[in-house]
Amino acid sequence: MQPMSTPTQERAGDGPELDGPVLKLEGIEKRFGGLEVLRGIDLDVKRGEVVCVIGPSGSGKSTLLRCINLLEPPEKGKIFLAGRDIFGSRDGGVGKSNGGVDFLRQRVGLVFQQFNLFPHRRALENVAMAPEKVLGQPGEQARSSAAELLDRVGLGDKLDEYPERLSGGQQQRVAIARALAMGPQLMLFDEVTSALDPELVKEVLDVIRELVADGMTMIVVTHEIGFARDVGDRVVFLDKGAIVEQGTPAQVLDGPREDRTKRFLGLVLER
Amino acid sequence: MNEIINQYFDLSLMGERFGEVFHGFLITIELSVVAGILALVWGLALALLRQLPGKGFLPIRFATIAYIDVFRGIPLLLIILLISGSLPYLEFIPRSIRIPEWFGQPDPFWYGVMAITITYGAYMAEVYRAGIEAVPGGQMEAARSLGMSHGQAMRNVIVPQAVRKVIAPLLNDFIALMKDTTLVSVIALNEVALVGRDIQGETFRSSALTLGAIMFLLVTLPLARLVDRLINREQRRFTRGAPRVEAL
Repeated sequence: MQPMSTPTQERAGDGPELDGPVLKLEGIEKRFGGLEVLRGIDLDVKRGEVVCVIGPSGSGKSTLLRCINLLEPPEKGKIFLAGRDIFGSRDGGVGKSNGGVDFLRQRVGLVFQQFNLFPHRRALENVAMAPEKVLGQPGEQARSSAAELLDRVGLGDKLDEYPERLSGGQQQRVAIARALAMGPQLMLFDEVTSALDPELVKEVLDVIRELVADGMTMIVVTHEIGFARDVGDRVVFLDKGAIVEQGTPAQVLDGPREDRTKRFLGLVLER
Repeated sequence: MNEIINQYFDLSLMGERFGEVFHGFLITIELSVVAGILALVWGLALALLRQLPGKGFLPIRFATIAYIDVFRGIPLLLIILLISGSLPYLEFIPRSIRIPEWFGQPDPFWYGVMAITITYGAYMAEVYRAGIEAVPGGQMEAARSLGMSHGQAMRNVIVPQAVRKVIAPLLNDFIALMKDTTLVSVIALNEVALVGRDIQGETFRSSALTLGAIMFLLVTLPLARLVDRLINREQRRFTRGAPRVEAL
């Protein structure tokens, strides 16, 4: 696989603090009905940092990513992307500000557990669609960049395949290329290997490794503890909607301080 | 037995009046195609209005749902009579709309088109809605996560998939629409049913109507077969496990 230089585009309006965190979360809260899913999450992600989020099922890991992407707008808290307050400065945080939503989504790539490729479009069109429709790239340019990205995730020979003709691992790699095509400043991976057959996990993780080597900033929600140890600059352990413990992989995975972290790792690593 | 054949299957009568009946059937086809296309477009528009997100569009969603419920609940015949019997006399409307004679078709043709579009638009909106709701939620999420607006996601991702899912039921609605065009005969559009009735009144035989029915079958039976094949194809796709989802 070739080194992956991703087209991170600096667009007009990108934040003033280029040295500040790419993403800053302040007191993010989310509830579904009576259920508190996130109870005040604070998180800074620096440029080029790889943050791996682990935790038991139902701990709010996926919801956290979906809140960052505003697929689930948080009830409380602030989100800063590249120094810009996504909800605007009014009423101290959460408000409906569509400019902020577009600003954020066009700069944050999200890869789903279930791939969610567009089944009625070929691999190439899946990747080229958003740059063409959202960024207004000419079709030719969008398609040639898409072909390049697919080549880099090792699918240069599958450009004209429909998703249903691809394996899960191949579909997930198309999904990664699709998110990269928008030139994101931050990539969110939501248990991207959990729906894959075991023998297909490696090809997807290898693509993510390439991105890490390339300096992409990312938050990776994962059950692959070994992978988190390998690529993570920081590991965050989430339980019951709160960050219990965070630190380097060595700190959190090898010498956890909190009982809950120990119990979780005990259960996971036992396998 | 002979009486039955004379009444319904008088071949010499069918042969003599074939030209008139066929001409009437062509009007039926024209009416079906024009109203069918308009109902397809109007139904999609209604379905999309019904899916507009957010609180701001609540009145539009409500109005759309009310429209769909009302016009699915009123007989098409009444709509035809309501339009043809009142539109010509609403003087505040320009004459070319009150008494439309576009593209060389007489005004009853266009009253029929209006009534059928209004009614079948409501039916088809429900079919489209089923299709839109059958597209997995992850599709909208994926589109939105890539920065597409609701409208862009609908246009590029949701509607193309939804329409594919509902081609068969839409065709079914089209068959029903085509048969219902005969109701426009009550406002003196010279389509196949009215031609047949006139001949029936003149000859005291129903064979011209039978001939019209046969013409209908020549179109509707192949369409019904096509619907079946489309449904089977869709089911085979599904059971072959086209959506390759390893775990749910």
